Amino acid sequence: MADETVKMEDVDMISRRRAKRWIPFNVALVLPAQLTVMAVVLIPTLIILWLSITDWQPTQGIPWFKAYVVGLDNFRELLHDHRFTAAVLRTLFVVIVCMAAEFVLAMSLALLFLDEWPWRKIAVSAIILPMMVVPVDAANAFFMLFGDRGPINYAISLIIGRSFEFGWLENPNWALLPIMLAEIWQWTPLMFLLILTGLMNLPENQVRAAYVLGASRTKIFFKIMLPLLTPVIIIALLIRGIETFKIFDPVYILTHGGPGSSTETISMFMYDSAFEFFRMGYVAAAGLLVLVVVVSICVALARPLREHHR
Amino acid sequence: MTSRFAFIGLWLRRAAVIAAMLIGLFPIFWLVSTSFKPYDEWQHWPPVWVSSSPTLQNYRIVFAPQAAQTFAAKQKGSIDYKVSASAWKAFRDSAIISVCATLLSIIFGTLAAYSIVRYRTGGRNYAFQFLMVRMFPPIAVVVPMLVFFSLLRLIDTFPGLILAYTAFTLPFSIWMIRSFIEEVPEELEGAAMIYGMRPLQAFLRVTLPLIRGGVLATALFVFILNWSEFLFALTLTTGGIVTVTLQVANYVSASSGKLYGVQAAMGTISTIPVIIFGYLIQRHLVRGLTFGAIKR
Repeated sequence: MADETVKMEDVDMISRRRAKRWIPFNVALVLPAQLTVMAVVLIPTLIILWLSITDWQPTQGIPWFKAYVVGLDNFRELLHDHRFTAAVLRTLFVVIVCMAAEFVLAMSLALLFLDEWPWRKIAVSAIILPMMVVPVDAANAFFMLFGDRGPINYAISLIIGRSFEFGWLENPNWALLPIMLAEIWQWTPLMFLLILTGLMNLPENQVRAAYVLGASRTKIFFKIMLPLLTPVIIIALLIRGIETFKIFDPVYILTHGGPGSSTETISMFMYDSAFEFFRMGYVAAAGLLVLVVVVSICVALARPLREHHR
Repeated sequence: MTSRFAFIGLWLRRAAVIAAMLIGLFPIFWLVSTSFKPYDEWQHWPPVWVSSSPTLQNYRIVFAPQAAQTFAAKQKGSIDYKVSASAWKAFRDSAIISVCATLLSIIFGTLAAYSIVRYRTGGRNYAFQFLMVRMFPPIAVVVPMLVFFSLLRLIDTFPGLILAYTAFTLPFSIWMIRSFIEEVPEELEGAAMIYGMRPLQAFLRVTLPLIRGGVLATALFVFILNWSEFLFALTLTTGGIVTVTLQVANYVSASSGKLYGVQAAMGTISTIPVIIFGYLIQRHLVRGLTFGAIKR
């Protein structure tokens, strides 16, 4: 026994011989997780298929399973609903702007942390503080900052030299800005942390060799660092893209989609249709549409995440 | 000459870092500072940076309904009924839900991760389906979930929210713990099995103690997610259960007026546990946020 190396196949043989059960042991282990996910995701997805072809509204007083079937009417209406298409486009706009801003800011910030200096660790800890704040509280803080008598307006009035009491959140043209700023403020630190980790894990030899051979800083960045960082960057952008697409908390707290529907994102649109107008069939159709699109995009895009894990 | 340029460059870089830190900290500073301001400084122009007469009044309103009523009678005339409820209940409800959901998520997640790593259960793509849960907007499943939950009488109950939270944090627990288990060589468990332990026993006695720190970090990470969750708390309750995030939203709602100081007080206390836990697991944050893809 002492000099023998243990082979997993032997062990598997021993354990397998013992285990001849109704459910294989390894399947039993994943069962609790699987059942939980099924209860909360798979069964509702089946229900959504049914609801999306009905015009069910709880206020009608009929139970959901007896709802009147309207076929594809919901989908037809959705495609012609300007509020919905506007919400979709707005969400995509927010995703692109936030991802781009977060990436540029995080990348430039991370490059400042390449060399070793005193207080560096403390600085990193301070910079990642925003991402730890409860999102609802972060939105709460931005609600105060962008109030008509808040510090942002005060700073602007100091700069322009006259009193400036602009209602950011009440103005349909500007209300999206505080929402995006809140999102960027909160999640740039995450992107920063991921990119910084990636930078720290870069093989030092290559960078140093390039230095010795006389490459310029910009060249080193674009020719060596950036290509090596690509997997990390893709993962960071992917995760932020998915999360920003779901954006709800700051919208709900800061503007509730208003004024009018000028800051409504997909999530906010669906929330309002369900809980202000009680059009459950319609929301189900919208939800199904979003689910199909998001899942197919994710399956295509998430490959890097999977491969990196191997 | 070059050395002087390098010197200036260095200081420019330091200045940029300090500027980033200030921008990052300012909203948090404003939240905390406002929470100590008396009523007449909430919307004072020019804004008050740090109150010269700090007060605990806002915190008293958050926790003691009587204080809220006295305040309402004195200053504002009336106060929203939602706001006049004590925040203790919110903290209790949130604690119950977050702790239970975290425990379930970690237990289920550890078992599943063990099975996925050591038995290759379900093949290559099995773990990926859990990740899908995290990908689509939760609001898309809220309506059918309400229907399903009303069948099971789970709306506005602790089990209902715990179930939802467990399911939506499982991707994190499974993928994170999976990455920790993968770092422990399989042969260790093999050796234990040669000595007569059953597979699960070998895992629990040998591997689990080795990844204890990682599992704990995962638990804190999942707790943070649960504590911060807002959408499910908003849609799957009807007033019986009030989580911390719901309470915060109640203070911000237009119907309760602009109770800046009280909002800020509630915001400050509700975010403190999250920040503490966040720093405790700072080393593992990257792994958690990338589902174990980047390990540091």
